[in-house]
Amino acid sequence: MSVILSVTRNELRHLVRSRVALTGLILVALLTFAAALTSNAYQADQAGLRERLQHAADQDFAAQPNRHPHRVVHFGHFAIRPASGLAAMDPGVEAYTGNMIFLEGHRQNSANFGDARQSSLLVRFGQLSPALVLQVIVPLLLVFIGAGMIAGERERGTLRQSLLAGISGGALLSGKALALGLAALAISTPAFGLLLWLGASGGARLSAVGLTTLGYVAYLAFWTLLIIAVSATANRSRSALIGLVGAWAFMVVLVPRVAPEAAAALAPLPTRVETDIAVQRDLRSMGDSHNPNDPYFAAFKQKTLKQYGVTRVEDLPVNYRGLLAIEGEKLTSSLFDRYADQAFGAMEAQGRVMDALAVVSPTVAIRRVSMTLAETDLFAYRRFLEQAEAYRYDLVQRLNRLQATAVTAADDAAKSKNAAAEARSRISADHWQAMPHFDPKRPSAADVVGRAVPALVALLLWLAAGAVFAARAGHRLNRSAA
Amino acid sequence: MNALLREARFLLGLKSAVAAMVALFALTAVAVSAGLVEVARQEAAIARIGPQQASDVAAVTDWVSQGKDPGNAAYYTFHATSDPPSDLAFAAIGTRDVSPYVLRVRALGLEAQLYEGEIGNPEAALPGRFDFAFVLVYLAPLFVILLFHDLRSGEREAGRLRALEASVGAPSALWGARLTVRALGLFLALALPFFVGAFVAGTALWKVGAVLAVVLAYLAFWIVLCMVVARAARSSLANAMTLAAAWMTLTLIVPAIGHVAINSAIPLRQGMELGQTQRTAVHRAWDIPKSESMDAFFRTHPQWRNTAPLGEAFHWKWYFAFHQVGDELAGDLSRQYRQGVLERAAWSERLGLVTPGVATQLALHRLAATDPAAQIAYQDRIRAFHGELRRFYYPYLFEDRPFGRADFARAPEYRAAPAAGSWPVALLGGVVLMTALVGGIGFVRGRRVAS
Repeated sequence: MSVILSVTRNELRHLVRSRVALTGLILVALLTFAAALTSNAYQADQAGLRERLQHAADQDFAAQPNRHPHRVVHFGHFAIRPASGLAAMDPGVEAYTGNMIFLEGHRQNSANFGDARQSSLLVRFGQLSPALVLQVIVPLLLVFIGAGMIAGERERGTLRQSLLAGISGGALLSGKALALGLAALAISTPAFGLLLWLGASGGARLSAVGLTTLGYVAYLAFWTLLIIAVSATANRSRSALIGLVGAWAFMVVLVPRVAPEAAAALAPLPTRVETDIAVQRDLRSMGDSHNPNDPYFAAFKQKTLKQYGVTRVEDLPVNYRGLLAIEGEKLTSSLFDRYADQAFGAMEAQGRVMDALAVVSPTVAIRRVSMTLAETDLFAYRRFLEQAEAYRYDLVQRLNRLQATAVTAADDAAKSKNAAAEARSRISADHWQAMPHFDPKRPSAADVVGRAVPALVALLLWLAAGAVFAARAGHRLNRSAA
Repeated sequence: MNALLREARFLLGLKSAVAAMVALFALTAVAVSAGLVEVARQEAAIARIGPQQASDVAAVTDWVSQGKDPGNAAYYTFHATSDPPSDLAFAAIGTRDVSPYVLRVRALGLEAQLYEGEIGNPEAALPGRFDFAFVLVYLAPLFVILLFHDLRSGEREAGRLRALEASVGAPSALWGARLTVRALGLFLALALPFFVGAFVAGTALWKVGAVLAVVLAYLAFWIVLCMVVARAARSSLANAMTLAAAWMTLTLIVPAIGHVAINSAIPLRQGMELGQTQRTAVHRAWDIPKSESMDAFFRTHPQWRNTAPLGEAFHWKWYFAFHQVGDELAGDLSRQYRQGVLERAAWSERLGLVTPGVATQLALHRLAATDPAAQIAYQDRIRAFHGELRRFYYPYLFEDRPFGRADFARAPEYRAAPAAGSWPVALLGGVVLMTALVGGIGFVRGRRVAS
């Protein structure tokens, strides 16, 4: 043990003395710090903005004057996506999703005003966040620092001396790995600090903070072991460096980019226009409420009359137009759900294809772990859209029920021709103030953790593979000395 | 010439160099094919929508032509617009995967329709596309570094440098030939797959030329940087480390910091506010006297002022008039939003002037018309088309003309025109300037070392 520690001490002393390595470490540590700071400030700003806009939307809705309930259905409401707890650590898909949906009757609108659409092309270089620094930049810096740690000693001849002096290959390797690992931890400290702070300030769950930390530590430990093992195996520092930069480019840059191309080919998505047209077409084939002879709505009428025990629509105790609106919304909404499920089904199939590439790249695994725990993944977005849709449906049906019960059929029929009937068809503004607010629920901690587990296991397997590789490289060092 | 042939033979004998060039060729080929597939997918979607849209309009026609109410026609008929990929889009997909390239609009308020999103998998958009632009901007420099970092230092470390320089008449001719052959190899590895792609996509010749100019300028920057670093006469390892650090800074760190800086300097909150403002403005019409909305409308559309006055009953012309007024009230926010998007793009170009990777990325997307400016241009075309739609429906609405089956055929049609793309002169100039600057610094420092 003391041998390992003395190797570590020597290596660290060497790192601090080497101007290039120290400059690199300090610069990346500063970058991590800047990323943590700006990302946190940006997310806090977004959270404030979104809260303000949601509040403004709630106020606008409640401040409506006396109106016909169907006017309110068209006035609609806005659902704004609240910021998630660990978004400052890993903004995930935040920039690529819309943040605001207009909710209205008969239509399902898209979430609009996502950042990627309104940013310059620079967004495609990656957003500066602690996640980007830890996933992409820190491994490359470790490659630079670590590629020559053992191969360099071999070139200078000091490796043979150490081994002949009785330091085992395993101890040498462990000591160097420990030094590189400590350097990795040191430059990532600002990111881990941010994680802790987010956990402590109550924005994020402790389970998410803990597992995210575990995930990143495992990821960086994998790189540390890989780098040391390659350095111990390579004949020259330069070939170790080239090999490792190649491995980095493949696993960190290439695979995550190729993955979506493969996924898009396997599970194509329809365009929004096609879905809109399909919804309209299906709606026409189900029933046309404009057509008095339409079989679906004729049957609905018979059923309603029977239910109330009357023979004519005029004798109903409620406003039949309101009942029609409820039925119509039920039809359109079931279609929206069906098509949204199809689209998300395809996206999740794409996601599985992309996740499977964790077999060739640990970066794919850490991305999944990090995004899932930060609740900035596709699932979190889907959850927001589905809760917004559920809220929309509930709101519209409440208003439709008001049309059925609080507006008389006679006034409703005459409102577009007669000003007095129009005035009577307006119901009290108190109704709008009594409507529930949009209050999206976060998924349970167990749910979030459960979805992060497979990728976390993949990451730990990568770490184990790295450890095996390093152990074998250590044995080989012993043999080479003998 | 002999020197070039000799160097070419020498290079082809180096296994690692050949492997590198084959790898770059293969990556470019995959990227070009992926781009062509994506463009074909988008073209197929646009083609698929044509008949679907026609049958949708036919169904509306059947229903509306019974009552011939122009208001129903204007309210229920969607009109399709599309933004087909340009002949170079395969090389740089750009924003086409996060913004719609097909959008349907009605003659109602445009501001509520213009910013509709597309169904897309955000997790697939997040890492970015694997297209020609990506291979050129990110990967090609790594290959340049691989082939050039030890051009001289490698020979020195192998102990061959003196013998090699002594065996040829002029060492500069030797290094010139060696450099040219390697540069040519990399250039061909990038250009050949691109040529095939351009041929398949039918890319205009001037754009092919422009892309080649961009490729040359960008490769030249990295080669000059390698030469400058090599002149410091250090070990191959130190060269490789310095160059890879430069690569990380120029293609990852500077753009990421630039993005944060630009987006916080030009915050775009107008988007979400715009949605709320327009909605509230439109619906206020139901609670104020109809004449107020009509007066506001007549101020911008005096030609309809003297049409039949509104009665007590609902009239579609009032409905469409207050939608127009809502758009006009949101006009300022809308213009600010549009301006903000363009301003962000303009600042990224300024960053490009000093960051060759950014300049190359922007130049290719400019040529391919897949940048935010092209997205805004599509929105502008939709805006113009929407104006046509309004001008088409308003005479029916304001003059109470019946809207029959034949009138549906008279509706304006959106004429899709692939965006032209333009020469990225300033960006290309930026790359050349930075190359000259790095070369100049290297030259000056080299002389200082020599003296």
